[in-house]
Amino acid sequence: MKRNTIASVIVTALLFVLAAVTIIPFIWMLVSSFAPNSEIVKLTGGVFPTPSTIDNYINIQDKFNFLRLFANSLFVASLKTLLIIYISAVLGYVFSKLHFRGRNLLFGMVLATMMLPWAVTIIPQYDMMVQFGWLDTYRALIIPGLVSGFGVFLFRQSIGGISDEIIEAARLDGASDWRIFHQVVLPMSRNSIAALAIFTFLWNWEDYLWPFLMITDDDKQLLSVGLKMFSGQYGTDYGGLFAATSVAIIPVVIVYMCFQKQFIAGIATGSGK
Amino acid sequence: MSTSTSKSRHTTSTPARRHLALGDILSMRNVSVVLLIAYFAVFMAYPIFKAFAGSLHEWNPLTDTYNWVGLDNFAQVLTDSLFWKSIWNTAVFSFFSILFRVVIGLALAMLLTSKLVKAKDSLRGLFYMPTITPLVAVSFVWMWMFDPQFGMIDKITGLDISWLNDSKWAMPAIIIMTIWKDFGYATVLYMGGIMSLPKDVYEAVSLDGANKWQTFRSITLPLLRPTTLLIVITSLISYLQAYVQILVMTGGGPGTDTYTISYLIYDQAFQKYNFGVASAMSVILFALTGVLTLLMFKASGDNLEETR
Repeated sequence: MKRNTIASVIVTALLFVLAAVTIIPFIWMLVSSFAPNSEIVKLTGGVFPTPSTIDNYINIQDKFNFLRLFANSLFVASLKTLLIIYISAVLGYVFSKLHFRGRNLLFGMVLATMMLPWAVTIIPQYDMMVQFGWLDTYRALIIPGLVSGFGVFLFRQSIGGISDEIIEAARLDGASDWRIFHQVVLPMSRNSIAALAIFTFLWNWEDYLWPFLMITDDDKQLLSVGLKMFSGQYGTDYGGLFAATSVAIIPVVIVYMCFQKQFIAGIATGSGK
Repeated sequence: MSTSTSKSRHTTSTPARRHLALGDILSMRNVSVVLLIAYFAVFMAYPIFKAFAGSLHEWNPLTDTYNWVGLDNFAQVLTDSLFWKSIWNTAVFSFFSILFRVVIGLALAMLLTSKLVKAKDSLRGLFYMPTITPLVAVSFVWMWMFDPQFGMIDKITGLDISWLNDSKWAMPAIIIMTIWKDFGYATVLYMGGIMSLPKDVYEAVSLDGANKWQTFRSITLPLLRPTTLLIVITSLISYLQAYVQILVMTGGGPGTDTYTISYLIYDQAFQKYNFGVASAMSVILFALTGVLTLLMFKASGDNLEETR
């Protein structure tokens, strides 16, 4: 018993050390974002620069209208996440509980899109957006990515696990499929919603190439593209860059913390079983 | 025409029946399937078709060229030494990233599910941090971490390596960053897999007196094969497409030493606007992804048969 306790303390402590190593880049970034440039590039001295100022955060707003980019990214990523979750859930229900000819074929095609490299579709889609006249609009950012193979797969797995009897009972009460979906199935899918919310928000928040190609108006630009432009323009303003990256990382961490509990359960049902 | 027939049907049916008929046409199934097919045709099928067609054309949107050249683009790509170098770099990058992702992911998952470890939730949350942070941002952070002047890696290790500017170390640096970014995903999937393993098998082997390593080798590892397969295949697909960390950290350099196939496509398409050549490369990448995925499924299927 005693030996187990000691072993437990040692292993746990060891894992916390590893976890600290894992998140050191974030801490280093955060500390550096509060240090003046001269302190950051100093050759001598410790690993961490001494934090002493919030000028970096003020400067990025002045030089770069940072909050605008931040708000744009927040808007696009949130809206897209909501739409993708809803569409994935609808299709997950359709593919797991409703019957029609060619269901497996259609589902197979949706799944196959997960294997499709971005490089294949991005050039034709770019061309298409130019033809549609959608450049510099958020339509171009939102509409082409609404059907997520991963999302549909996740919801098909979890909704497939809901017993048919519950759905049949609702149907006998005269409820339509829309109603069953909204009132019975959707509330039971919290774990999948959480898992998909985390991933989808992240993927859209970090998306670089598509907004880079679609948006040329600086006022409409998104944060990840802005970050790259900022580093091109002010490559030696490390303090500013550290501050900008810190702010770029915070929203996804918040989304993760909100959904963390349901998230693991959602992933576990989506895989391996 | 069709409205008049449906109208006449409505007048002859009872109110309840009429409601049902309209509901039938606008049922969730019909609406979703029709919308999905339409969406799929416009935003998936057409672009895929267009990519294949484009690969057979000299295609440049800046000069508005779109001329049939047959297989010339493919000939050009397959004889281009940079293409083969990029394929090799992609193979090296994918192999080491997947290997370490799986090994670290599995090892951590075993520890985090063991009874010895306390505060599992906080630990899991910390290990998962890199995975849920945006790649563009963390690529910047790592670019600075690898900086020979003020980066913390040289400062901590006491090495004097100019990681991202050294043709020997640039690719390893990108691989290290990618492993750090991605191992958490494998850890979480393995934890899910381990927690759903059947308990009775373990009780049976512990009665047989098998030690921990034997149990791991002969029971846990084979039972986790579906999870491993899932991780390896999804990793492979995403690493064949990786370009962001390269775009941010090295721009393909030094020279062309960190060009991967997807970075090369990005470069051809959106730096040089050779849409035709880039389409030909993307068709090759598509085929490569498909073949490798199928091979992996097949290999693992055979293995599963053998163990039975």
